[in-house]
Amino acid sequence: MPSSGHLFPASFLAGAREGFVTFLPLSVGLVPWALVMGMAMTSAGFTPLQAMGMNIIVFAGTAQLGTLPLIAGEAPLWLIVATALALNLRFVIFSAAIAPGFRGIGTPGRWLAGHLLTDGVFATCLDRMLHTDDPHWRLGYYLAPAVWSWALWQLFALLGIHAAGFIPRQWSLEFMATIALIVLLVPMARVRPMLVAAVVGGASATLLRDMPLRLGIVVAICAGIAAGFAAEHWEHKGRQP
Amino acid sequence: MNYDASLWLVFILIGLATTLPRAGFIVLGSRVALPSVLQRALRYAPAAALAAIVAPDVLVVGGTVEVFNPKLAAAGAAVAAAALSRNPWLPFIAGMGVLLGVRHMLGG
Repeated sequence: MPSSGHLFPASFLAGAREGFVTFLPLSVGLVPWALVMGMAMTSAGFTPLQAMGMNIIVFAGTAQLGTLPLIAGEAPLWLIVATALALNLRFVIFSAAIAPGFRGIGTPGRWLAGHLLTDGVFATCLDRMLHTDDPHWRLGYYLAPAVWSWALWQLFALLGIHAAGFIPRQWSLEFMATIALIVLLVPMARVRPMLVAAVVGGASATLLRDMPLRLGIVVAICAGIAAGFAAEHWEHKGRQP
Repeated sequence: MNYDASLWLVFILIGLATTLPRAGFIVLGSRVALPSVLQRALRYAPAAALAAIVAPDVLVVGGTVEVFNPKLAAAGAAVAAAALSRNPWLPFIAGMGVLLGVRHMLGG
């Protein structure tokens, strides 16, 4: 534990600073998503209290957007929950992949980290979480982007709830979320097997887009992982005499 | 539309269906260790997942794949900006600029 006597050890703050600086430019992609989310919940007929309640209890863009039409259409409860689970399935993969990065970190920190896991935080933090020794530094590096994402998400959803009707839809601000995902993807795809995983994952998801409950995305991720793993294997074999 | 108190039950159940998949392996940690082969394979999860979310969004217009559309052009500009420049804001400026510019030229 910290010898300094401060609330947070120095290496936690150093990790937090670095994580925040790395993640800050990407986090602008959350802003339009959160605005759209707030507007969508208002359009579904939620009061501001109900909308913010959902936003705080659920904290998941795709699961929220995906279940909204079902809630508004008074679908059976099991279907709503099953849809939310399907939309969150990719996080089982993410959770398993990043879990070794939480070695030496206690259970409350792990629950908090799990609740705050998002696509952007996962893609930003995975590599450094797996390859850094100091657990304080790792926890700081993870929590700074994660808590920042949470705060942005709540703040701009609240704005969206009250701004519904003021922002012209043809500005397509939600496309900034897609750009944020592209910014995460490009540096990964510089390594050949990663590029293979991305191309196969993207192509499969496009071909399987009509599968129910967006299960096509889960199948596509599995296909991309298999293709990347196979490409790594062949590259390795090719180098050996 | 008016909702009753059961709406909060729906939120809590969706919340569980969201947090448990995310926190599961992180909380269980080394008690449930995945085989190392699987762990190596999972390194490809982020690239595969990001592409799986982005590709349909920029390739599909109204249910069919269209190779010439404003979103794909915008995605191309964002990829070029991210690959060639170190400025973290440029992909957003280039992508949104191309998206709105191409739409404007097409009269949309």
